[in-house]
Amino acid sequence: MSEATPNPAPEPAKVPAAVAPAAAPKPAVKPDMSRGDFLWAGWAMLAAFGAATAAASARFMFPNVIYEPSQKFNAGKASSYDLGVDTKWLNEQRVWIVRTPTGFYAMWARCTHLGCTPNWWGDQNRFKCPCHGSNYTLGGDVIAGPAPMPLWRAKVELAPTGDLIVDKAILENKPGKRENAPFFANYSPA
Amino acid sequence: MPTLDLETIKKEIIDSQLWRSVFRGGVWKDTPRDRAGHIIGNVWLHLHPVKARPRALEWAYTWGMGGISFALYLLLTITGVVLMFYYRPTIGLAYRDIKDLEFAVTLGMFLRNAHRWAAQAMVVSVIAHMVRVFLTGAYKKPREFNWGIGVLLLTLTLFLSFTGYLLPWDQLAIWAVTVGTNMAGATPVLGNEGPLGALVGMRINNDVRFTLLGGTMVGENTLLRFYVMHCVAVPLVVGILLILHFWRIRKDSFSAAPYQANEEKIDVWPHLVKKEYFGAAMTTVFIMVWSILQNAPLEAIANPNVTTNPSKAPWYFVGLQELLVYFDPWIAGVVMPGLIIVGLIAIPYIDTNPKGIGYYAWKERPFANTLFMLGVVMWFALIYIGYALRGPNYAWYWPWESWYMLKAAPPPTWSVFGPTGVGKFSMFLGIPLIGAASAAWLLLPKLIQKELDGLKTMGAFLGVIALFAVGGMAMGKMGPIEGAFLLFFTGASFYFGFVLPQRHIRTLDWARYLTTMVLVISTMSVLLKMCARLAFNIKYVLTIPSISMNI
Repeated sequence: MSEATPNPAPEPAKVPAAVAPAAAPKPAVKPDMSRGDFLWAGWAMLAAFGAATAAASARFMFPNVIYEPSQKFNAGKASSYDLGVDTKWLNEQRVWIVRTPTGFYAMWARCTHLGCTPNWWGDQNRFKCPCHGSNYTLGGDVIAGPAPMPLWRAKVELAPTGDLIVDKAILENKPGKRENAPFFANYSPA
Repeated sequence: MPTLDLETIKKEIIDSQLWRSVFRGGVWKDTPRDRAGHIIGNVWLHLHPVKARPRALEWAYTWGMGGISFALYLLLTITGVVLMFYYRPTIGLAYRDIKDLEFAVTLGMFLRNAHRWAAQAMVVSVIAHMVRVFLTGAYKKPREFNWGIGVLLLTLTLFLSFTGYLLPWDQLAIWAVTVGTNMAGATPVLGNEGPLGALVGMRINNDVRFTLLGGTMVGENTLLRFYVMHCVAVPLVVGILLILHFWRIRKDSFSAAPYQANEEKIDVWPHLVKKEYFGAAMTTVFIMVWSILQNAPLEAIANPNVTTNPSKAPWYFVGLQELLVYFDPWIAGVVMPGLIIVGLIAIPYIDTNPKGIGYYAWKERPFANTLFMLGVVMWFALIYIGYALRGPNYAWYWPWESWYMLKAAPPPTWSVFGPTGVGKFSMFLGIPLIGAASAAWLLLPKLIQKELDGLKTMGAFLGVIALFAVGGMAMGKMGPIEGAFLLFFTGASFYFGFVLPQRHIRTLDWARYLTTMVLVISTMSVLLKMCARLAFNIKYVLTIPSISMNI
């Protein structure tokens, strides 16, 4: 054992301790890692690879570019609307234009429960949803059924041309905020 | 003139090199060895055991529902692949292609009908299979894991139906998927409208709903995603789980039916295989006849802005739709289905009753059978209500009432504990009161160590409720119908949720007892909430709007 064994594999840890100070012509081969640790590192890398693959696959499912229609539209001349709920944009834009004595608000026709389109029942003065039976007042507040919050109102502006410009990307449903600009457009016919 | 000898021809064919190269084995002498070889030497049949106990093959024991479900799965695969030849999953073409299948493609209507009806039949047969396996206790050790696989297969059967009915791009399709994906959007934490969702940064364009839709609204990407899931991804997963399911049946000694004295096993070929072929043939004939007699529904082309009135899910999801009337979407759409799936998978691990394995045992397993069947009956009762008793605006219409008569507007709802409820301090009053009541319900059946007299306990409970109802009526707070509702729903909840657990499971260890009680109380909460809404217009028992906590 006086010579440094060329292959100290069987008990690598002991060899340098016993021999190193005396005579070591070549640096002793001291493995930095035991066989077990090496295997564990391998498993850890495999697990990391799996996790990274899973994360990347999940990320893959989120599209970076989506092709969806603009949420902004021109709802026509403000002067063309009568008092009350107008449903003429429902089929195309999913919006009710509501005219009050002082101006306009635009209600997004999406039930806040699970996203169906309610119908306006003028004789009962209510919006009623056909999917789970939620009922809303003219202002959009829930009076019956499972919906958790009031209907959303969209941003509405009166353009200098007299047109109403509605933007469904900007929404509000809190009392106190929804009655003011930009969710309410003042309008008084000349 | 040479005579036509069929036997000689048959022998010539079977002994030919070609035939022998395809079908292994020597001359068929119908010995037990031949019959065993037929199972072992055939790749399609070799998941079968060679022999089985006669009881395991009886129709009255198996109902044949597992095999029929698999036959339907094969039928659906074949009809589905064929339909794919004429269908393009884009918004502009999908509906037109379905119309073409119906009116311009030879046999297109028939194949679409067959696909739709087989799918509905498969939902029924898989549920029936589960009920049979439950009632015969065939999920108990060592079959717990295979029962879990079965529950996943049931879930995936329903998910295949769900992804399938978006594809025609009709009104049913778009609104069912709108509602379904909005439910995903109400998932706690992972959905932008769910509790805590906004808190962790979920928005309409980065939550779980967004990945399902491939956008912020049901559109082109959604159709493509559901198409891929329906035609490729989910069937693959189902196929893998089916292999596992069959493999475990084989390994777990094929059937739970217990040995009987002097019982002799019989050959699977031909006794079982014959029945399987017969079941598959009858299933095919049944679907064919149904598809000739009735056409699959197709509504108007999808309109993403206007919903049909009323809008209803396919029948097997109408129960869930009805549940959504009573509970917030994250409870009815996420927590409850999750609890049903997890609860079903947990059953073999919480049911420690060693009796009733492999035979119908109403007397030996009163609690398990009663509660399970209560759940099944409730599921179908909800389906009945949603399917038959809901009319325009999803209002309640009795069968004798015309849908053309507009119902009076429903009365305003209110909350018991909430900012404007009876108890205005929902945090300080509602949470302790409801928490105490739930804890008492959860713990009392186990803490009362002596078995209560069922008749007396029920009598006392119903007496108190009746007194309460009479008091309410005298004060003009409720009428006789509301009183009857109150008696029925609270009585049922008390019997199934308190008296029965007290009688049967109070001796379980705490972990199993608590798990069981959580599932039982969740089930009863459906009954109680239905009563509260239908009879008393209660929207929430407790509401804390600031954190979207509504129960």
